[in-house]
Amino acid sequence: MRITRRLAAIAAPVSLAVVLAACSGSSSPSASNSPGTPPGHAIKGGTVNEAWVGASPNDIFPLPPVTNTNGYNANLTSLLWPTLVYQGDGGQSIVNPKESLYSSLKYSNGDKQLTIVLKHWKWSDGQPITSRDFTFVYNLLKAEAKNWLDYVPGLFPTDVTSVQTPNSSTVVLNLDRSYNPAFYTEDVLSYVPLLPQHAWDKTSAGGKVGNYDQTTSGAKAVWNFLQKEGAQMSSFTTNPLWKVVDGPFTLVNFSSNTDWDYVPNKHYSGPAMPHLARMNDVVYTTDTAELDALRSGNVQVGGLPLNDVQQLPELRAQGYSSATQPIPGVAQILPNFYGTNTVSDMLLRQLYIRQALEDLINRKQIIAKVYNGYSDPGSGPVPIAAGGPWASPLEKSGGPYPYSVSNAVALLKAHGWKVTPSGTSTCQKAGSSAGECGAGIPAGTPLTFTLAYSSGSTSFDEQEAAIQSSESQGGVKINLKSEPFNTLAATVGVCNASSHPASACNWELVDEGYDPDLGLYPAGSEFFLTGAPDNQGGYSSAKMNQLINATEYGSSTQAFYTYEDYAARQLPWLWLPNSSLIVVYKSTLGGVAPLNPFSGSINPEDWYYTSGS
Amino acid sequence: MTAYLVRRVGQAIVVVIGVMILTFIMVHMEPGSAARAALGIRATPERIAVFNATYGLDKPLYTQFVIYVKDVSRGNLGISYTLQQPVSTLIEQRLPRDAVLLGLSTVLALIIAIPLGMYQAVRRNSIGDYTFTSLSFTLYSMPDFFFALLLIAVFAVQLKILPPFAPSAQSVAGILADPRALVLPVVTLALGTVASFSRYMRSSVIDVMAQDFIRTARAKGMPERKILRRHVLRNSILPIVTLLGLSLPGIVAGAVIAEEVFNYPGMGLLFYQAATSHDFPILLGATLVIGVATVVGNLLADIGYAILDPRVRYGRS
Repeated sequence: MRITRRLAAIAAPVSLAVVLAACSGSSSPSASNSPGTPPGHAIKGGTVNEAWVGASPNDIFPLPPVTNTNGYNANLTSLLWPTLVYQGDGGQSIVNPKESLYSSLKYSNGDKQLTIVLKHWKWSDGQPITSRDFTFVYNLLKAEAKNWLDYVPGLFPTDVTSVQTPNSSTVVLNLDRSYNPAFYTEDVLSYVPLLPQHAWDKTSAGGKVGNYDQTTSGAKAVWNFLQKEGAQMSSFTTNPLWKVVDGPFTLVNFSSNTDWDYVPNKHYSGPAMPHLARMNDVVYTTDTAELDALRSGNVQVGGLPLNDVQQLPELRAQGYSSATQPIPGVAQILPNFYGTNTVSDMLLRQLYIRQALEDLINRKQIIAKVYNGYSDPGSGPVPIAAGGPWASPLEKSGGPYPYSVSNAVALLKAHGWKVTPSGTSTCQKAGSSAGECGAGIPAGTPLTFTLAYSSGSTSFDEQEAAIQSSESQGGVKINLKSEPFNTLAATVGVCNASSHPASACNWELVDEGYDPDLGLYPAGSEFFLTGAPDNQGGYSSAKMNQLINATEYGSSTQAFYTYEDYAARQLPWLWLPNSSLIVVYKSTLGGVAPLNPFSGSINPEDWYYTSGS
Repeated sequence: MTAYLVRRVGQAIVVVIGVMILTFIMVHMEPGSAARAALGIRATPERIAVFNATYGLDKPLYTQFVIYVKDVSRGNLGISYTLQQPVSTLIEQRLPRDAVLLGLSTVLALIIAIPLGMYQAVRRNSIGDYTFTSLSFTLYSMPDFFFALLLIAVFAVQLKILPPFAPSAQSVAGILADPRALVLPVVTLALGTVASFSRYMRSSVIDVMAQDFIRTARAKGMPERKILRRHVLRNSILPIVTLLGLSLPGIVAGAVIAEEVFNYPGMGLLFYQAATSHDFPILLGATLVIGVATVVGNLLADIGYAILDPRVRYGRS
C-alpha cells in the first residue's frame, strides 16, 4: 500500500483564482482555454515578463528535500530539467510525447518489466543524454528516498528490483510487482527527471566527477553535496553544476524575492527551440500589486485573481487576452468517520446521510455566484477538465448527486427522520433496520453538523455560507466554524488511522480547500485506501480498496472508471466545485493558450511574438 | 553622561534578554505545529518526524531555548523553515531595503512637517492653519493602502508617468538608482507621517511661544524670524526627537502594507509571512532585531534630548 502522497506540486502563477469550466458543462463565461493566435507569423526574439504572486524558488536542485515544500522550486527547475515523462500537451491532460525524454516505453513480463528507450538528446554542454544519467538519478534516490520530497513509499525507486542498461540509450527496470502501465507512466515516471551524471557525480565543488553514486555511501555524499549547493540561492546562475541542463531554457539571472530570468538553451534537443529571447519571471508580493502591474502594462503574462474577474474587460481593452487553467485537483468536504464524536460520526457513516448532504449542496449556484462561472463542477474524485480521459461519463454528466432538495428530503424520510425544512430534522425511528435512522443514532438525534473551514478567503466564506443555506432547506443544520489554517491543520492533521484521539479529533466536517496534487493519472489510493495517512477522515471500505488496487496494479483501463464511479457514489468526501485559474496575456503573444494544467501555465518554450505585434 | 550611558546599555541588555524569552515562549504557544505549517496539512508522521529532527523541534522546549541562545550569541539566528535560508541572511537582505524606504519617507516627512507645524502655530486659527489642519486629519485618517492604491491608479495606471511598484533592486545603491520607482511608496509613507509630526510640531510650537523667554526675547527687540529659528525651533523640536526615536523600531519592522502594495519585500512582509506559517526562527530573529532597535531608538532619543536641551543632563539629580 502506498503511504503518502507527493507534496511538490507546481505552483500556479496566481495565488487563488478561478475555477474552471471545460468540457463538463460548467460555464466559463468570458475566458476560454482555446488557442489564441495573434495575426502575423511567429518571429524570433522578444522578452516576456511573467508575474508570479506570493513566493519565489529557494532551491534549484531538481530532487527537492523532504523539508522543502516550496512548489515554486518545481516552476524553476521544470524548464531546466524536464521529467522523463512530460505531463500535459497544450490543454490536453495526456502525456506529451514530444517533450518527454523517452522515445518508447514498453511494459512486458506481465507489466513487471519496463524498457525505456531514451531519445538521442544532448545536455547543454554537448554531452549526450544516456542511460547512465537515469541510473545516476536512480542511485541517488535509492540511497536517499526518504529524504526526497516526491517519494511515495513503495514506489520508485524502492519498487525497482534491478536496473539494466543494455546500451547507452536503453534502461530496463524490473519491478517488484505488476503495475498498471498508465498509472506507472503517468503517476510515477512523470516525477523523475534525468540528471547529468558526467557533471554532477561529485562530492565537493572542487572534486572530480566520478562514479560515486554506485555505492550507497557515495550516493549519499553526492546527494548531500548537491542538496547543499542547490540551496545556495546566490550561486544559482554561477554554479557550473546548474549550467548543464537539458530543458528548453537556461537560467541567467536570479534575484531572491524579485525576479529570475531565462534565455533559450542553445543546445536544446527538444521539438523546437524557444522563440523568445528572454523570459523574465517577476515576483509580486500580492494579487493587488500584480494586478497593478498588469494594468500599467508592465507584465505580459499573469494570473488574474478570481475576485478581480470584473477587471477582465478593462484588461482586454488594454490589449490582453485571457484563458482559464483547470486545476488538477478535487475540492471536498472531509467527513469524520473515526467515531470520536459518537453521534455525528455515526450519522456520517450512513451513506444515505452523506447522499442527503451532497444532494443539498447547490454546486451550480456556488459556481455561478461564488466563482463567477470559473470552476470545475466537482462531481467526483476526478476533476473534469484536468482529468482528461480519466473523467468518467458519470462524472461528466454531473455526477450521481445533482442538487435536489426533494431527493434529500425523501431519503431522510425513508430512513425515519422527521424533516424540518429551514430547521433541524430529528430522528424519529431509531434502529438499524430498513426505514430506521441507523446504528448508533438514538431517537431524537438532531441532524446537525459543524463545518470547519480555513478562514481568510472571501470566496471560502461565501461558499460555506451557501452550503449552510442550501443544507437548511432539507432540514440539515450546519454550524460554520472558520479557523486559521494552522489551527485547522493541527486538528485534522493529528487524526489518522493509528491515532485519532477524541480530545483532538472532535471535528465533524472540514473543508480544507482543493487538493492541488493529483497527477496526470488521478489515482485514489492516497486518499481512500483504508489506513492511508492521507485518508484523514478514516474512511474504510473493502470494496473501495479492491477497486483502487485494480487501478494501480491491474491492466484494465476500464478499472479506473469502475473505481471512480464507485467513489463518486460512496462519498468518502462530499464533492465541491473547484475553482480554476484565469491567466491573462498580451494579445500580441501567441502560443500561450490552451494552458497546460500540469505545468502551472509555464510553457514559454511555446510562446512567440508575431510579425504583426 | 558616561555613567548614564553605561546604565542604559545595561538596562537595554536586560530588556533584550527579556524580549528573547517572552518571544520564544509566545511563538511556541501558538496553536498548530511548525511542521504542519511548513509541510502542509497532509504531511505524514514520518515526514513530520524528519522535519522536527532536522530543526531540533523534537527536543524539550528548554533545551531548544538553550540552543537558541547559544546560537544567537554566535550570531546564528537559525534557518527559516519555509524559505530554507539563514535568518540572518534574510534580515540582511531586507533590512537595508526598509531602511532606505522608511528612512527616506521619514526624512521627507520631517522636511515638510517641521516648517508646516511651525507655520500653523505662528498663524494659528488662520485660514491656512484650518486648511492644513483639515488636510492633516484627512491624511492621518486615510488608510495607507487606500492612499497607495489611489496614487497608483492616478500616476501609474492613468497617467503612466510612474511605475506602480518600488525598486526591485536588492542593494541600497540599486534602489537609490531608481528614483522614479521610489516616488509613490515614499510619498505614501511620508504623508501619513507628515500629518502626525506636523500636529505634534504645531502643539509644541504653540506651547513654547507662550513661554516667558520668548516674551523676553521679543521685549529685547529680537526679530521674529530669529526668535523662531533660535529659540522656538530648538525647544519645540524635542517631542519630534522622541517620535523619531520611537520610529526606529518601525523602520526596522518594515511597513507591511506599503511592501505589499508596492511589491517591495521587506521586513514587514517577512515577519507577517513567518507569523502565518509558524516560521519560528524568523519570528524570533526579527523580534530580536526589532527589540534591539526599540532600545537603541529610545537611547538615541534620550541622548538627543540631552544635546538639544541643556536643562536636561542625565546622571544629575
